[in-house]
Parts: sequence; C-alpha cells; structure tokens
Amino acid sequence: MNPLLQIQGVSKTFTRNEKSAVEALRDINLSIQEGEFVSIVGASGSGKSTLLRIIDGLLEPTAGTVCVDGQTVTRPGTDRAMVFQQDALLPWKTVSENVGYGLSIANKGKREVATVAQRFIDLTGLTGFEGHYPHQLSGGMRQRVNVARALAVDPRILLLDEPFAALDAQTREIMQTELLSIWQSTRKTIMLITHQIDEAVFLSDRVVVFSARPGQVRDEIPVNFPRPRELAIKREPAFGRLVDQIWRLIESEVRAGMRQVD
Amino acid sequence: MRIALSTLCILLVWQLLALVVTNRLLLVPPADVASALMKELKAGAIATNALATVTAVVTSFIVSVVLGVAIGSALASSRLLSLTGGPVLSALNSVPIIALAPLFIAWLGLGFASKFVLVLLVAVFPEVVTTEAGLRATDKPLIEAAQSFNATRFQVFTNVTFPFALPFIVSGIRVAWARALVGIVVAEFFGSFAGFGYAIMSASQTFDTAKVLGYVILLGAMGLIGSAAFATLERRLAPWKFE
Repeated sequence: MNPLLQIQGVSKTFTRNEKSAVEALRDINLSIQEGEFVSIVGASGSGKSTLLRIIDGLLEPTAGTVCVDGQTVTRPGTDRAMVFQQDALLPWKTVSENVGYGLSIANKGKREVATVAQRFIDLTGLTGFEGHYPHQLSGGMRQRVNVARALAVDPRILLLDEPFAALDAQTREIMQTELLSIWQSTRKTIMLITHQIDEAVFLSDRVVVFSARPGQVRDEIPVNFPRPRELAIKREPAFGRLVDQIWRLIESEVRAGMRQVD
Repeated sequence: MRIALSTLCILLVWQLLALVVTNRLLLVPPADVASALMKELKAGAIATNALATVTAVVTSFIVSVVLGVAIGSALASSRLLSLTGGPVLSALNSVPIIALAPLFIAWLGLGFASKFVLVLLVAVFPEVVTTEAGLRATDKPLIEAAQSFNATRFQVFTNVTFPFALPFIVSGIRVAWARALVGIVVAEFFGSFAGFGYAIMSASQTFDTAKVLGYVILLGAMGLIGSAAFATLERRLAPWKFE
C-alpha cells in the first residue's frame, strides 16, 4: 500500500542574511500510512515544528518534497489541517464561529458551516459553550476548540503542534484520552509533535525521534501496545521501559541543546 | 458619576479662585459664565456657531478616519511602501501643521474649505500610525492559522488582521478627535465668520471673559463626549483585552 504521507529528502535552512543561516532540518525521510498515528519527539530546536509547517504547506522546504496521496504539497490544502499551540483562536469569534472558521474561509454557506461546526463541537465535548468567547474558556477547552476547528474541514491528515504543551498535567492526560477516542472514531491520519515522551508513546503507533539541530531522524520506534489504550498502561513496566529507551536517545541532545546559544 | 464629581470639584475650586481674583477681566465666576452662555443661547449664537464648527469638524474627521485607515493599511501591506512612505509621513507628522493655518486660509479662503483641510491634516496621522501598528501587531499564530486554511491575503486582512487592529484604530481615533478640535479652533481663529473658535476670538477682542470661557467649556464638553464614546467603543471591540 502506498503511504498517504511521504516525506522525501526534506531539508530546510533559514537564511536571515548572507552571514547567518540556520539549518533546521537535514534530509528527512518518513512515510506515514493512512490511519496511522505518528509522533515526533526531539529536543527543542530540532526542527519538529518546521517539518510540520512544511507538511502543512506554510513553509517551503529548501530541498526535498512532501507528497500527500501522491500529490506534491506546495501550499496549504483541505487534505491537511493543523492544530496549533494555544492562542491561535480568534478572540473576537465565539466557539461556534471559531470551529467553523476553516469552512467559512472556504466560502461554505452559513447553514452548512453551522451544522458541521455543531457536529464537531459535540464530538469534542464543547456542547453548551457554543456562544462563549475563547477568553472565557479554560486552556483545555480552548484546545478542544482548536482540535474541533481542524477536524471541521474534514482533513485526511491532522497535524498537531504540541497541542497540550500549555496545559496542566491532569488536563493534558484527559485531553490525550480524548484525542485517542476522536482518532478512533474519525480514523484520521495523525502526526503529533510533542516534548512529552510519555504522551508520544501513549498515543502513537510509531514514535520518530529527532536529533537536535539540524533535525534528522535519529530512530523510529514502533509502539505495539494493544488498542484501545487506557491511561492505566502508562503505569505498566513495558511502557516505562519504552519511554526510558526513547529518553536515552534524546538525552544527550537535550543536554547539548541547553548549552546552545541562539 | 465620576465625571459629575470631578466637574463639581472643578466648579468649587473655580468659585473659590474667583473670590480671591477679583479682576473680572482675568477670571469670572462660574455663574457669570453660565449666564453668558444662556444669553448666547437665547440669541441663537450658540446654534449658529455650533452648526459651523460641528459640520466642519465632523465631516473632516470622518474623511480623516477613512483616509488614515486606508493609508495605514496600505503601509502595513507593503514593505516597500512602508519603507518609502513611512519617513515622509513621519516628517509631515512632526511639522506643526497648525502653524500653516494662515497659509491654508490664503490658499482656500475663509470658511469651510480651509477648516476642512486643516482638520484633516492634523487628524489623519494618529489613524495612519495606529492602523499600521495594529495590523502589524497581529499575533502571528492567528495569521498562520488562517493561512493554514488556505486563506487569501484579502481573507487574512478581513478575518484576522483588520479585526485585530480595530481597537488600536479606535484608540487612534480618540487621539485624533482631540487633535481635530484643536485644529478646528485654530482654523476658526485665523479666519472664519462663524464657529466656536471665531466666537472665542471675537469675545476676547472685546474682553468678554465670561463668553470666552463659556465657549471653551462647550469645546471641552465636545472633547469629553467624543473621548468617552470612543473609549467605550474600544472596550466593546476588544473585551478580551480588558479581562
């Protein structure tokens, strides 16, 4: 079976001026099958978010290509949708308007936007908050809106950029289980960027480990815990061993990254 | 409530000062000002002056807002324009345009046209500056999110950057309103046949201090009403900034 998402030889160098250039990504090769849940972990500054933006079409790679279902990505499209870190919601729009935002940009009719928005509001547990504004919501609820907004355009691939990084530990765990159940009910292909190794292991079929700048694929670790998964598996010894194994892969990189000066 | 209280305080201090300063050319007590205003009102002079001042300042102000927002948007949308046009505008902004009032009157004659142009020139800059600043200050993730949904440049403007800039623009409008009032009075000082500025000028030439102060108070009220209205509008437009 052909992979849904194929990343071939992607490199990215940011050039600020003639003297300073930052190599963010070097020769990334990854294939992701339809319906797969893949996470990327790595030290800060390993270019994870850059890769996600290249896949989404917000950034152009310096070299290499990204193909979705055989089509080369050149710009954002409705086959991919991005869930950003906090505060990517429009503060002057209600929950319902924010969820329907992608559809209204695509010039869908008002009634269709409202109907679809409502479906994803219900799916993400936002029922009753349709008329609220983002600043009236907790961090967890805001991220629900973010996820619902991305799902509403019915993408084939959902790209999540550290979606739970700003949440407290308890809320984060709840959101992880909710993301899993959404994934199971919608069968989307998901690519998640995270700093939390346990989050990556808990959610994914496969964890891709990035090295620090320039970001390169250091290793790909399959995660074979049976699905559906419960939070309780986080306390199993096998889970801990896997987290440990991945941590050892990036520990030295994280330490090196701490001493790096931007 | 707060406004009523501070007005009362000012009236009290004023009254006390008027007891000490007895030269009625320098200072008159509030009651005299009130009766001077009543006399003007009955004579119909307030209505005539208000009509002249308000029509000129309001038309000119509206045009300045539209123009300022348009120029500010253009500057924010293009780096080249901002680099070339920006310095010209800030140079113009630092010129005391008020000082050119006699020149405008020489060019455009006494009356509406010279007032209109002078007010336009003093009031347009705050809107240009705040519009450009507001558009540029838009949170980058908001723009990225729109682009991620394949929004066109125009959609990014109407959906994201312009709504984000609106409260900035309104605060610019507030500043511009105060400047517009200064502009209109100066324009009327130098040459016109009606208006608050004209009335103040002619009253001061006849040493009618009560009338001068009366019209100044009317101008102050106009400024206050505008400022309060725009402040309310600002809070309405961006409730997330005030919580």
